[in-house]
Amino acid sequence: MSYTETADGVDNQIAMVLDLNKCIGCQTCTIACKTNWTDEPGREYMYWNNVETKPGQGYPRGWEDVGDGWASEDRTERSPGEIPSIEGYGRHWEFNHEEVLLEGSDEHIAPAEDPEWGVNWEEDEGAGQYPNSYYFYLPRLCNHCTHPSCVEACPRQAVYKRSEDGIVLVDQERCRGYRHCVEGCPYHKIYFNMEEKTAEKCIFCYPRIEGNGPDGEQHAPACADSCVTMLRYVGRLDDPTGPIHKLVEEWEVALPLHAEYHTDPNVFYVPPMSPGQHTEEGETVDADRIPPTYLEELFGPDVHDALDTLERERERVRVGEDSELMEILTTNDRENQYQMEVFADD
Amino acid sequence: MSKTDPHDTTDRTDDANSSGSEGGLDRRRFLQGTGLAALAGASGLGAASELLNFGGLETVDDPIGNYPYREWEDLYREEWDWDSVARSTHGINCTGSCSWNVYVKNGQVWREEQASDYPDINPDLPTNNPRGCQNGACFSDYVNADHRVKYPLRRTGERGEGKWERISWDEALEEIAEHVIEKVQEGEYDGIDSYTPIPAMSPVSFASGTRFVNLLGGVSHSFYDWYCDLPPGQPLTWGHQTDNAESSDWYNADYLIAWGSNINMTRIPDAKYFTESRYGGAKTVGVFSDYSATAIHTDEWLSPDYGTDAALALGMARVIVEEELYDEAHLKEQTDMPILVREDTGKFLRADDVGIDADDPEHAMVMVDADDNLRVAPGSLGTREGKLDFESSIEIDFDPQLDVETTVATADGDVHVRSVWNNLRDRLAEYTPERVHEETGVGRETHQRIAREFADVDRGKIVHGKGVNAWYHNDLGNRALQLLLTLTGNLGENGTGFDHYVGQEKIWLFRGWQNLSFPTGDVRGMPTTLWTYYHADILDVLEDDDQEWVPDEYDTAERIRESIDEGWMPMHPEEREDGTRPDPNTMFIWRANYFGQAKGGRFVEENLWPKLDLVVDINFRMDTTALYSDIVLPAATWYEKYDLNVTDMHTYVHPCTPAIEPMGESKPDWEIFRLLAEKVQEIAQERGIDPIPDRSFDREIDLQSIHDDYVRDWLTGEEGALDDGLAAAEFILENSDETNPDYLDEQITFEDTVEHPQRFLGVDPHWTSSGELDQDNPYVPWQDHIEDKVPWRTYTGRQQYYIDHDWFLDFGEELPTFKEPLETQDTDEYPLEYIQPHNRLGVHSTWRDDPKALRLQRGGPMVWLHPEDAKERGIEDGDTVVMHNELGEIEGTAKYYPSMPRGTTMQYFAWERYQYPNRQNFNTLLPMRMKPTQLIQYPEENGEHLHFFPNFWGPTGVNNDTHVEVRPKGGDSQ
Repeated sequence: MSYTETADGVDNQIAMVLDLNKCIGCQTCTIACKTNWTDEPGREYMYWNNVETKPGQGYPRGWEDVGDGWASEDRTERSPGEIPSIEGYGRHWEFNHEEVLLEGSDEHIAPAEDPEWGVNWEEDEGAGQYPNSYYFYLPRLCNHCTHPSCVEACPRQAVYKRSEDGIVLVDQERCRGYRHCVEGCPYHKIYFNMEEKTAEKCIFCYPRIEGNGPDGEQHAPACADSCVTMLRYVGRLDDPTGPIHKLVEEWEVALPLHAEYHTDPNVFYVPPMSPGQHTEEGETVDADRIPPTYLEELFGPDVHDALDTLERERERVRVGEDSELMEILTTNDRENQYQMEVFADD
Repeated sequence: MSKTDPHDTTDRTDDANSSGSEGGLDRRRFLQGTGLAALAGASGLGAASELLNFGGLETVDDPIGNYPYREWEDLYREEWDWDSVARSTHGINCTGSCSWNVYVKNGQVWREEQASDYPDINPDLPTNNPRGCQNGACFSDYVNADHRVKYPLRRTGERGEGKWERISWDEALEEIAEHVIEKVQEGEYDGIDSYTPIPAMSPVSFASGTRFVNLLGGVSHSFYDWYCDLPPGQPLTWGHQTDNAESSDWYNADYLIAWGSNINMTRIPDAKYFTESRYGGAKTVGVFSDYSATAIHTDEWLSPDYGTDAALALGMARVIVEEELYDEAHLKEQTDMPILVREDTGKFLRADDVGIDADDPEHAMVMVDADDNLRVAPGSLGTREGKLDFESSIEIDFDPQLDVETTVATADGDVHVRSVWNNLRDRLAEYTPERVHEETGVGRETHQRIAREFADVDRGKIVHGKGVNAWYHNDLGNRALQLLLTLTGNLGENGTGFDHYVGQEKIWLFRGWQNLSFPTGDVRGMPTTLWTYYHADILDVLEDDDQEWVPDEYDTAERIRESIDEGWMPMHPEEREDGTRPDPNTMFIWRANYFGQAKGGRFVEENLWPKLDLVVDINFRMDTTALYSDIVLPAATWYEKYDLNVTDMHTYVHPCTPAIEPMGESKPDWEIFRLLAEKVQEIAQERGIDPIPDRSFDREIDLQSIHDDYVRDWLTGEEGALDDGLAAAEFILENSDETNPDYLDEQITFEDTVEHPQRFLGVDPHWTSSGELDQDNPYVPWQDHIEDKVPWRTYTGRQQYYIDHDWFLDFGEELPTFKEPLETQDTDEYPLEYIQPHNRLGVHSTWRDDPKALRLQRGGPMVWLHPEDAKERGIEDGDTVVMHNELGEIEGTAKYYPSMPRGTTMQYFAWERYQYPNRQNFNTLLPMRMKPTQLIQYPEENGEHLHFFPNFWGPTGVNNDTHVEVRPKGGDSQ
């Protein structure tokens, strides 16, 4: 199966591969995204990038249960979901530091209202029972889909896909805040700005990749550039020499999330390996800890081949052979991993 | 509020005048100074007006790839803007030591991003960049925090009430100066205590107050032992505080075991060397009682019951010994295994016992060569000049036997002797697969297979951490695990070793730092665990029959007194000539949260704190200790001053430099203590206060020159040389082997570090692979001993698994052994084992109260429970619960964690007292325990192997071994 075909009118398509075997749930990407873009009135509750523990309801709560993007493969009809409530995202809790610490209040520091949900509410929870419980971390951002159902959803045609790189944006001047896109995105990665009354979303840090800052330098998107374990690859899907093309199309170890939404995401995941299970006698055995059916639910049936490929190539290195795949997955070359040259002005 | 609800059906109005962009002019656009004009101007106001009218909306043919109205995109481009960038870091005890760029916009810190310019060591390793985690990524919150301390504050209410008055710097300095002058004049200077930990995280700041207090004759506290970070097994076995490889070396291992070290949560900048080692051909194993964030990324996870790690390790060691999988040459040359032990006394056989020649035969050990002749063990203490002797060698020119049982003739008659090896073999034989399974829950076959696999590889490594070290019997746990590396000879080479990381304790730049911090060379060092135990009256609590916190057989109170009386451990204030001992009177605390973090927190609050007449906290934020202080002085943050930063996780030095001027009236620590010294000197000169002879050292405390002494370079004698923090940083770089070794022409200056992080040139002999640093490979320890054959810094001069101190013999701990976690409480009433691991969203108490971090959790303290344990108690995820035991109770939000064994509960580390309704905290439920074997001097008569030295050897404050119960708030336990 090929993922490379770009949308009509889109010359090149940005893409990202995330290796879940390196994701440690630290949330550095989440913070980096927030301090770059969403740390201000109206955007505070938004996390354009979030990391959720899977299995779990995630952020916003239950996003996988509402909305299917396109109703079928031919994409003639959408299957819109619901607009999550603010409780489903988690409110932006306000705190009382000054009163407690400097003004002598006898209260304690806590959110002004009782929290019910938040962006990382299910941290490390997962499923199953000790010692055979399981969980892993899933970083999420806008998929900048090839066939974005959010674009179709907007009656004002204020959501669009850039021709030069396929980044999906909401025109902040044209948008009137109807929120059809919020319910139209099956990944629930479009948010409503309470102050501006517009929809906002991940912009793939286009000012950074374009080199628009005072330093005139290109920077990878903040979530990737700040990622301490360097689990993200940034580049173009259609560049056959780049690591993304190799991981997605040649080695077939990177897969889209919920391909059944038929939006053709341009964010791909290397699925998580996990240690075997324990018997009652405390012996470790070679039995899948994460149920394969669950991985299939997220990443489709090809997930098994992807995991087999990883294991096979690991074994080759273990016995002293070379493996191109293992070399790509080893992060000793930042420039190769974040292919900024593909975004440079020609 | 519907206004902020996406369900709110009020659409953005088509009336431009009431659009949110005007009313809601946000902070960032305000900072940009452009605001609405930029927004409107992006597409030209005229065009925008037309667009804003829905009726006149122009259509778009195809928004996919052909969207015509893109001028608005400048909106986000203009947000990606700043005025200046400065290099800095976070002087926090996280071990990260990450270099950051701090972005400044309109005079304010906007945000930060990893500098990502550490030079790589070699191209085969995953890159060093970026270093820096989610915490560092929002430190700017603290610079601009609501509870930033911006002015000197004096308490007006009770300690902890949060009632303050703002005072001038001069008032604050004068009040403190008058107080310390009085204490010095009364001879009570050894009741002036200073608590500041971890020089590595900001050595200039560390040295500022330490230097002042050193000149005053005050007390300097230890921290590595107090935090229960020190692994006592390292000084016991290897004669050294701790030494470990830098994290990039993990990648070099063929077999990598993370044992109680939750790398993926607590060593985030280093985690890639663990996660990626799997792509480099290694097998990774996790040993954790819970299925931790690190365990999920391993190839195999072992889950020993809490506190049983030593039993697992000894079972694995048994396999390696019985199946002869050990490295015999290593054992013969590098360990005490061939050394003989007397059966009658349990002591080492000395050369003196059998009439063999040695420089100091009473301290020389004995081996047996292949021809059954008794030989002096080369390198043992009696054959060398003190602890560290580079001229001596452990090289053997004979083949010592490991398996020895014989009788030797001594002055006391015939004595039966056995080698350490034979004693160890007998000990290990007790750890049968059945017993290991019974004690630990780990499978009989599994642990044996892992042992075989580990012994089979070329390069095996164990990364070790707090999960194993926080127990009462941590020393035994350490020694059992270390044994696995020793038996397999996995030490001193890349990809091998026992890498213990807990706290940023390793002070590279040792000499420069030491000279800056302690100019007089006469230091009143104090083991903080013992000091707290003593002055918080926990000794008395222990003797109360109602409180059975420690096992009776350890005679803790008696042994503490004996250790102090023998002079093995110091106690300050010192005992006076009339036999009395005054209370401590003053405490300076900076870069630390002593009061919030004190184990036995209840006793510290009730008994120790009232003894202190004056508590001065120097801080940028109002943390728990600041809240419970008398005077709080406003400190500059790491983005507002000069300093350095180093860590055991890597071999680079990099700086703090000011991105902005200190906010409000805050000042860098160096300036604060310099001003304090200046004020003391000014008053002392006015009053003509004479120098006071120090009670214990051959020096005078001269308050009339204390400022001159503070700013003098004591090594060159240059007056006024250390006027500011930048000069102090240069002093450290100039006087350290890491940055200015006398055997190289190169030197690293402060300016170099500003350019990019600089890898060290050399390694001080304080560490164990000294001399020039290999520029092409990660640092690994112990090469001085393993490659160069310099005797280890132990009694025997070898890795020493047998400790023949009387107290160790009394407790049956002369060899590594397993002892169960304490169950001294009523476990029917308090059935849950209480664990306080380190968390990812915070570093100790820092960031625990940061709104950004809190929003990524649940807004406050959480009580982690196995869902079944919770349900049994009528508790659901998200309920408010009360965790309690004999010492008190605290509230938190219940959080389900199915990856934890039943019968346990966790409260991640270091919430502040003011985050709990009753102003207690996670430490309230902890008594304080201290294991007497960690109070010894060894050998008793000279302490060459073990003597008190701050953070090198001293009692560790135990975190675990405590039980609690949890109930729903307002309800009873079921």
